Amino acid sequence: MTAAPAGDAGPALALVRATIRYPGAAAAALRDASFAVSPGECVGIVGPNGAGKTTALRALLGSAPLDAGRALVLGRDAAGWAPDALARAVGVVGQREEPAFPVTVIEAVRMGRYAHLGPWRGLGVSDHDAVAWAMARADVAALADRWAETLSGGEWQRVRVARALAQEPRALVLDEPTSSLDVRHEMELFELVASLARADGLAALLVSHHINAAARFCDRLVLVAGGAVVADGPPADVLDADRLSAVFDWPIAVHRLADGAPQLLPERRPAAGGKR
Amino acid sequence: MASPRRSPSFLFHSIGLVAALCCACAPGRDAGGSGRGAPPVSVVDDWGRTVRLAGPAHRIVSLAPASTELVFALGLGGRLVGRTTWCDYPPAARDVPDVGNGIAPSVEAVAARRPDLVLLYASEADRAALGSLTRIGIPVAVLRLDRARDLARDARLVATLAGEPAAGDSLADAFAAALAAATRPAPARPVRVYVDVQSDPPITVGRGSYLTEIIAAAGGRNIFDDIGGGSGPVSLEAVAQRDPDVVVVLASDTTAAPALERGAGWGAVAAVRAGRVLVLDGSLYGHPSPRMPAAVRALAANLARVSAGRGGP
Amino acid sequence: MRMRRAPFLAALGAAAVVALLAGVLVGGAHLTGREVMAALGGRGAPGTRAIVWQLRLPRVALGFLVGGVLAVAGASLQALVRNPLADPYLLGLSGGAGLGAVLAIALGLTAPWAVPLAAFVGSLATITLVYRLGRAAGGALDSRVLLLAGVVVGAFAGALVSGILALSESAQTRSALLWLMGGLGGVGWAGVAALAAYSVPGLVVLAREARALDLLTLGEEPARHLGADVARTKRRVYAAASLLTAAAVAASGIIGFVGLAVPHAIRMLRGQDHRELLPASFVLGGAFLVLADAGARTLFAPLELPVGVITALVGVPLFAVLLRRSARGWP
Repeated sequence: MTAAPAGDAGPALALVRATIRYPGAAAAALRDASFAVSPGECVGIVGPNGAGKTTALRALLGSAPLDAGRALVLGRDAAGWAPDALARAVGVVGQREEPAFPVTVIEAVRMGRYAHLGPWRGLGVSDHDAVAWAMARADVAALADRWAETLSGGEWQRVRVARALAQEPRALVLDEPTSSLDVRHEMELFELVASLARADGLAALLVSHHINAAARFCDRLVLVAGGAVVADGPPADVLDADRLSAVFDWPIAVHRLADGAPQLLPERRPAAGGKR
Repeated sequence: MASPRRSPSFLFHSIGLVAALCCACAPGRDAGGSGRGAPPVSVVDDWGRTVRLAGPAHRIVSLAPASTELVFALGLGGRLVGRTTWCDYPPAARDVPDVGNGIAPSVEAVAARRPDLVLLYASEADRAALGSLTRIGIPVAVLRLDRARDLARDARLVATLAGEPAAGDSLADAFAAALAAATRPAPARPVRVYVDVQSDPPITVGRGSYLTEIIAAAGGRNIFDDIGGGSGPVSLEAVAQRDPDVVVVLASDTTAAPALERGAGWGAVAAVRAGRVLVLDGSLYGHPSPRMPAAVRALAANLARVSAGRGGP
Repeated sequence: MRMRRAPFLAALGAAAVVALLAGVLVGGAHLTGREVMAALGGRGAPGTRAIVWQLRLPRVALGFLVGGVLAVAGASLQALVRNPLADPYLLGLSGGAGLGAVLAIALGLTAPWAVPLAAFVGSLATITLVYRLGRAAGGALDSRVLLLAGVVVGAFAGALVSGILALSESAQTRSALLWLMGGLGGVGWAGVAALAAYSVPGLVVLAREARALDLLTLGEEPARHLGADVARTKRRVYAAASLLTAAAVAASGIIGFVGLAVPHAIRMLRGQDHRELLPASFVLGGAFLVLADAGARTLFAPLELPVGVITALVGVPLFAVLLRRSARGWP
């Protein structure tokens, strides 16, 4: 029941020198951005507000048309994918989701199978198995008959991850998945995503404000600022104090944990004077 | 991005529906009648439809007060097996079974009376009923009995369908003669009349209404006979400005005086202030009837009496 | 509050049977059950047979079809605009149809199919106008703009209707009001067959989009990520639901409440899987309208109430009861 077949050559998701300029905007939202995510990797996109992180994500999925460059999913142009085929390849957990009508957890997760079913076929044995596996993997099996609106933020988030897993994708993309979660739920979610990449061979891509968590779980970080990719590599290389202070326009120190993971520590600016 | 075109079957749908609706309007053919050895009868009704009965009609349902009164006036009241709730003249009509509304009638209630002829009022709201009655094979004659001149034609029509054409002719002739006798020549200064159909907001009648005719025959003049149709809304200001001599109100209870002067703004109309308000029996004045000559005489007398306070014509 | 599938299907079937029986057994002619059964079997007096076969049966068939179509259209539009308060007329359609019909009546068009056709044309004009207005930049349908456009266009058409009625002959006004209030009389088998044939493609389109409608209720972005072609689904559902409603209105005037309440009742009882919601709404909507029409014909016999009065009078309290029970029953 794993998601990625063995021996997959090449990145699952890739942006190649992508440029996007919104009409009427002074500067480009994305400038000549390139990065890739391969199966088995967990990559985090980090950077300040408005840097272009979500734009990069949308470009990657073919939701935002490119003014230059290419966006590739499994080696093919993102814009060329039919919606249902794309859903079979990439599972996306977006920032916000509010169902208009009440829905139970198991109904929600089953919707992940629709891309496989088309308009007419009912759910078969393999579909039910995929749903069961996804819910077990995301640890929401016990919540199956609960109404979505009664779940906590963390539980709903995991349900949405389960739904994405039910799609049996090769890549998993998450946009700010932990923005409203507490410590425990955030750590659990990152653990889940990292293990999905390592154990199940998915190509995992997250956008997050929580650089410290991303630094501990991701294999690589892509630092985006002003629409450009400023750094791309293992967290220890990317998280450099001077670079971070320049990008975030705030004095930042970098500490190292026992396991070697770098952690960003913003410094307090004194009331008068200070670094600048 | 793909251009947002409508689903291509939309045009097909519309053409299909138009075609289907055209087929659905297959005109009904009337048949039936009691067939007692009498010859078949055929007339053209007021909607241009040819009505053919196998024999004279003996079970008639009348769906308008005007046609109910007409049937009785022709001496055929015994053949009526159904009337509307609103048919109250002559008093004998009350003994005829009530089938409900005349406008948009209950087709089943009509059919339950097993009529061999239905007299339907010529209103657009009755189109559906016409279709339904035709579909179940009940002959229908549509009568537009709105004006005095319709009476002679429709009397002959109904009489022919009942196999008594002579009754129709004699009624029509007698009516014409009586009306001519009762009609006064147009006076130099006709009594100016305002007809109050509804007080708030004000609605009156126009050229196309029977009331305008009867007022003219009685030596008066509807101050709004420049309105083309049968009725229409007017402003109170216009009424006050045209300054009628008399205000006429239709009611079923002629003893109760309508308190028009209590309505906001009606005090601006001189006739209302002076109490020159005439209440007319709706049953007699509301639709063309063989009683018209008598009604004209009564109205002429009333108009003269009420407007005398103003210095007369 | 939710029912399991077998009892639910049984209840639905029972409702349909009761409705069909009621529709055939009641009417202004006061036929006995035996007479009706005989007529159905082809025996009995020709007059009775004509009443049953030419008046009651087409009326029941029309009622079931119109009720079913309105409920399905309502369910689809509720998912499309992600708003539980949507009904088939929310997108301005009733205004356009009413305007067409009232214009035809005011102009004195007398052919038997003139008014339904004018109503249909009025609906088409509204559908087109609202569609154009509902397009945000880029050409995709924006649900909130669509809703607003529908309200505005409907209000505009309604104002025109009021104006025309105010200036009309009282006979025409009466005629127009009766049409607007809706009614199932006056349509024969040919009309029923035409409506049925016309409705099938629209219903098939909606059935095909049922899965996509499930996804759409989560939101447009999630739906897209789960594999729905959102822009295409919105166009198709809008077109199919609108055209179905336009045809129903052309046949029977503006009958309210069915398209709003019936889908909700099904959702409360079975959830919002549209592959089940749409057909179940059709059956319940049809049964509901047939029952309401039977009531409209008999409560004040021989006078007939407009069926829309019954659907509201009965539907609103029923709906309130369902709402309260489900609110208590939710975990």
